[in-house]
Amino acid sequence: MPGVYLTTTEFLDDAKSAAKDRGMPGLRMVALPANTYYRARASKEELLPIATKAFPAIVDDLVRPLTADEAHPRQAQKQSEAANIKVTGKDYPDAYRKVNDLFLDNHWSDGLPIVPPTAKLVNTMLAATSRSAQEVLGQAAPKQGTATVEKIAINAVMAGAKPEYFPVILAAMDGFLDKHYDLTHVQASTGSFTPIVVISGPLGKELGFNSGIGMLGHGFRANSTVGRALRLALLNIGQTWPAVNDMALTGRLESYTFFTFAEDNEKSPWEPYAVSLGYKPEQSTVTVATVGNPIVLGGGAVAPWTGQGVIDQVVARISTGAGFNWFHSQTIDLVLIPDCAVDLASAGYSRKSLQQYLYEKSRIPFEKLSPATVQLTQEAIADGRIRPENAQIFKDNLKPGGRVPIVQTADDFHIFVAGGSPGYDLLFTYPGPNWANQTKLIGDISPTKAGQ
Amino acid sequence: MNPRGEIPPPPTIGIRPTLPNLDGKKIVLVDNGKFGADNFLNVLAAMLKQNYPNATIVMYPKPAAQTITDMPKWYPTVRQQGDLFIFGVGD
Repeated sequence: MPGVYLTTTEFLDDAKSAAKDRGMPGLRMVALPANTYYRARASKEELLPIATKAFPAIVDDLVRPLTADEAHPRQAQKQSEAANIKVTGKDYPDAYRKVNDLFLDNHWSDGLPIVPPTAKLVNTMLAATSRSAQEVLGQAAPKQGTATVEKIAINAVMAGAKPEYFPVILAAMDGFLDKHYDLTHVQASTGSFTPIVVISGPLGKELGFNSGIGMLGHGFRANSTVGRALRLALLNIGQTWPAVNDMALTGRLESYTFFTFAEDNEKSPWEPYAVSLGYKPEQSTVTVATVGNPIVLGGGAVAPWTGQGVIDQVVARISTGAGFNWFHSQTIDLVLIPDCAVDLASAGYSRKSLQQYLYEKSRIPFEKLSPATVQLTQEAIADGRIRPENAQIFKDNLKPGGRVPIVQTADDFHIFVAGGSPGYDLLFTYPGPNWANQTKLIGDISPTKAGQ
Repeated sequence: MNPRGEIPPPPTIGIRPTLPNLDGKKIVLVDNGKFGADNFLNVLAAMLKQNYPNATIVMYPKPAAQTITDMPKWYPTVRQQGDLFIFGVGD
């Protein structure tokens, strides 16, 4: 049916790009002025002059006869990407500068200098996995670029990753490209959502990931370059760029390296997170999850704390009923410092019982839910986003006197143990529209143990 | 080596022919659920009604949790209810 799409001036290019990506380059659009629309939109009176000015264009788009190109657009051709890029310079520094200029000018880099991805370095990276260079892991949103093992290796080289990190990078990309992971949201949203990348199991320590003081900071090659390899791979394979189709208004937190760290499985009183999911103790996994701003809990080096007090703070933060309009599919990632986990374990908590405790204690009284939240939850039950096996408890509690869970199951609380001593505990929430956490086995045998 | 992923082109589709005028037509205003979109579309609805008194204006609040990838779930309802649509306000 004929129609017109309304957007704002700041998002017109993004909207055109998205329409083209979906095979509708002729979709008609009217852009409202961003500098006045966003401030005026709470008031019909203030919107009236904006609507009055836009009205003729909207009507015109609905009735103006189609051009030949609009009616029968040419079929888009496959984007031809050269496999190799040749750069020459009078000496190595000159060529190095030219490579970096070329990559940044083409939006193939993140703004920091890269390691030029020569065929030799890429082949060395590929030698660290048993997976075929041409294996397709999936299509990366928003432009559905094809993610092959080779393309990921090229980006890993650019990031400065060691070859022994490559199986971790591939497994993380398996997570990002899983059909259940909402990559579009974390690649394009106006919010500052960003991924956490958590390694669980023996490979974390073996590869030198920092899981102690400063684990989210700089200085550790494994954390920094695995995260940067993933950032570059998503940028180049999904083809995003700030203010073009990545519309994070203030950018993304930890945009260059994401929040990449490993569990401290030696100091944790509990089994590794990977084992809690059914993996063997000798296996390692990587979890990718979209998160919002981290909430810092505990006392660090400046205030007293108890494990139960930290958990009470978690419950208080997540059970307010505010900001959780999507909570039918919400996931919670909680990173406890080892000392806190030990304190909770000595009080009798296992990871499983702590998940169950959080699930029960965070349920929200029906009376605290907004009508919009109630409606969204009912829609989620009806269309299956609240999975049928989990729906009954929501149905039973969406009424006066009910207490509605904020996640679908207790397993949607993902609890990791990492951080310093002293340290702070970190709470990550994500009110996103899809199941956000994906955990994948790091498939290749530990390259360092294999002597590579 | 080139770090970019190759993009398989999607099938390109043309847009539907427009209608010569709005008189007597059913116009569906699709509210995408963004803050203030309902206000803007309500203002627009009043203007359409004033300028095209014989047109029927239908307000359709798209389920807010359903994104563009869920379009097959909600678009049939829009199509069933009208002759034309106005979708907004996207950001």
